[in-house]
Amino acid sequence: MKRRTFIQASGMITAGALLPGTLLGAPFKAANKQKYPYVLEPTLDGDVKEFHLFIDIHQQEIVPGFKIHTLAFNNQVPGPEIRVNKGDKVRVIFKNKTELNHTIHWHGLHVPWRMDGVPYVTQMPVMPGQEFIYEFTAEPAGTHFYHCHWGTLLHMQAGMYGSFIIEDPDDPVRSRFPYEREYTLLYSAHDVNFLREEMNSMLERMKERMYMMKTGRFNKERFAVFDSKKEFEDAVKNGYQPPYVVNRRAPDELPVPNWFTVNGKSYPSTPALFITEDENIRVRLINAGTEEHYLHLHGHDFWQVADDGLPVPYPWQRNTLRLSPGKTIDIIIEGKNRGIWTFHDHDTRRVTNNGLYPGGNLLALVYEDLPAEETRLNMMAQKMGLKNLPIVALDE
Amino acid sequence: MNHLKKLYSLLGLILFIQGAAGQVSPEIQLGARGVMSFNTDISGSQKTSSVNDFSDTGLLLGFRQKLYSNFRGQMVIGMQFPDANSDLGQVFFHQTFLQLENRNHVLKMGRSRVLSTLIEFPTLRDDDALPFTDVLNPFSSGENTEDNQYGNVIEVSRLFGQRYWLRVHGEHFTKTPQSGGTSETDFSLNAVGIAFEYLVPETQIWNRPFVQQLGLSFNNFLTDRRGYSAQLDKTLINILASAIINIKADPLYFWDARFQAIYNRGFDDIRGIATYYDLTRARSTAVFGSLRFLYRKLERPTLQWALSAGYKVFPDLTTATSQWQLISNFFYRLGENFDLTVQLQHARFNGDLKSLYGRSETRMQFGMVYSIDQRWNKQFDDRNSLLNLEHGYIP
Repeated sequence: MKRRTFIQASGMITAGALLPGTLLGAPFKAANKQKYPYVLEPTLDGDVKEFHLFIDIHQQEIVPGFKIHTLAFNNQVPGPEIRVNKGDKVRVIFKNKTELNHTIHWHGLHVPWRMDGVPYVTQMPVMPGQEFIYEFTAEPAGTHFYHCHWGTLLHMQAGMYGSFIIEDPDDPVRSRFPYEREYTLLYSAHDVNFLREEMNSMLERMKERMYMMKTGRFNKERFAVFDSKKEFEDAVKNGYQPPYVVNRRAPDELPVPNWFTVNGKSYPSTPALFITEDENIRVRLINAGTEEHYLHLHGHDFWQVADDGLPVPYPWQRNTLRLSPGKTIDIIIEGKNRGIWTFHDHDTRRVTNNGLYPGGNLLALVYEDLPAEETRLNMMAQKMGLKNLPIVALDE
Repeated sequence: MNHLKKLYSLLGLILFIQGAAGQVSPEIQLGARGVMSFNTDISGSQKTSSVNDFSDTGLLLGFRQKLYSNFRGQMVIGMQFPDANSDLGQVFFHQTFLQLENRNHVLKMGRSRVLSTLIEFPTLRDDDALPFTDVLNPFSSGENTEDNQYGNVIEVSRLFGQRYWLRVHGEHFTKTPQSGGTSETDFSLNAVGIAFEYLVPETQIWNRPFVQQLGLSFNNFLTDRRGYSAQLDKTLINILASAIINIKADPLYFWDARFQAIYNRGFDDIRGIATYYDLTRARSTAVFGSLRFLYRKLERPTLQWALSAGYKVFPDLTTATSQWQLISNFFYRLGENFDLTVQLQHARFNGDLKSLYGRSETRMQFGMVYSIDQRWNKQFDDRNSLLNLEHGYIP
């Protein structure tokens, strides 16, 4: 192949990234189910719902052929969905299988303060091999999430987050917008180079520290914790903190995310939202990452029905919403405009994979009852050997 | 006509820039080491002092890129300030090579460190104990220590598991001096070798292995090639064995020991050492060992003390000939990457070596060392990262 031909062909492949199979086919639908976090089944201990979570290092394939090392609850990113009823007594037995420290913070839940998962504030970190039991009553109702609160910048980017849904039998959203199907989408952003370097640094450091722990010589000075503010200030004066670092090993630049995921995957591996005409679907949006997302749905005005898990008194309609870090927003999409529609970040830097479009948090709202004839191509496209719409990457 | 040439040059430049803009930026590595010392010879045949010895100071610049099929490519260019008495000029390009690698294979071509030694010792400069730590280059006049350390290399390595390395290598070792002040024109293969090494990756030091490294190597200089040795129609064989033992792999008080032995089979007919030529070809056995203590306050090196000793004997010579050396040094870290150092070394020469080097040499050095190793635009992990070693390899 001549160089010029090769370059032209490469360009076409980039521009014409195909969706995996047809969006309306059974194989795609079956695969799509796997792209949502599974619901973790509890065991019952009296009236307490008991869940088991563990954390381990896991490889995640963000898009076909591109894998990264992650910190994964129960070997998946995001972690499994915990779904309980308002007022349920909950026990989560958390096992740390890594050589790093962790905690779990229950974001948006009103737990007793010693269960809040903030290291050195509400609890000691869960150290390698240790187990910690969190107990609380599930409240308030709504869409929440859980995440690690140790080394949060790294550990959340590395995959330590999962949805926590508290259902309310008297849910005002369901009353006003009856729905059968709902979807949970967890957004995140990752600087995969930062992740890799920092995880390696922390693993190296923790190997050393674990030996010090075993021999009883691991003291607060080595661990950078202080009994008083004065101790901390003195340590800073003595060169403990940047820029005069003494024991810092991790990268000294702030991460700049270059991969953007929904449920741990980037386009073309992102999940699709299925709907039929005249159906309402509820979509629970959770931003577990560090970036703001401006999510825009084509062809519809959805209802924003809950904010941070709390039902809004007067739902309002819009087609673009701002999902800030740490926020959860619930929307209702009404099936009123048959077709295949894109739902994506309108900060289009986030619909890229390492700078290349298309990618990132691009996904599709798909009407299952879309007649086949509406996906047909014109004669020109057929001559090119193409089959049906959508044939190219979902465009914004 | 000139205008046309300029136009073509400009067009060429624009095309080049456009081409470059479409490329994936490589990883960029920068390594730098500054070694400045005040040296004074307390005893020896040539009592000298040097107000500022900056030999071994150098820069390394590297570029790495992901290639197709899980391969990686790398280019390294490095320059170093050679010893003041060398004839290498002000700056010596000691590293200029390309490397191609995947998970289990490495191919290296270019000028680089030759496998004349299997391990590094804790001396202030790389060549402080060269007669004991390195196989000596038989094609060299002995004027430049770099002749023993760097050469034109082609090396293929195969990694078995995560720790077993098999290296097959061929080199062109520099021949000095060239006749009539001419430059070297023959760069053909004049050495081959094979090495097998057990090596625990540095990242796993806190797994606290007792044995950090074991190595066995065989080097064969092709001295019978036309133009290299009219006198001796043979090859020169060297065998190396090495070990690094972690005596106490403690994060606070770290102790390790290093050993290396070099057996130079030599030529039977060398019975005396009158020149460097004889020195490299006489049968000999050299052993060198170091004991090192490292104190690491707050997980960073704070001070290091090392004591090294070497002994070399030439059994076939008419006059009993041997040499030994003691080196002790101390490094104190003033801050990130910056050390104060003091080194004392004493060497003793017996037999034929006395006439070459005198009876003994004692040298004291006070200095500072600054060293960095930085990477920018990082794109992929190293083979020996903990993630890749212990949590599944990602190409």
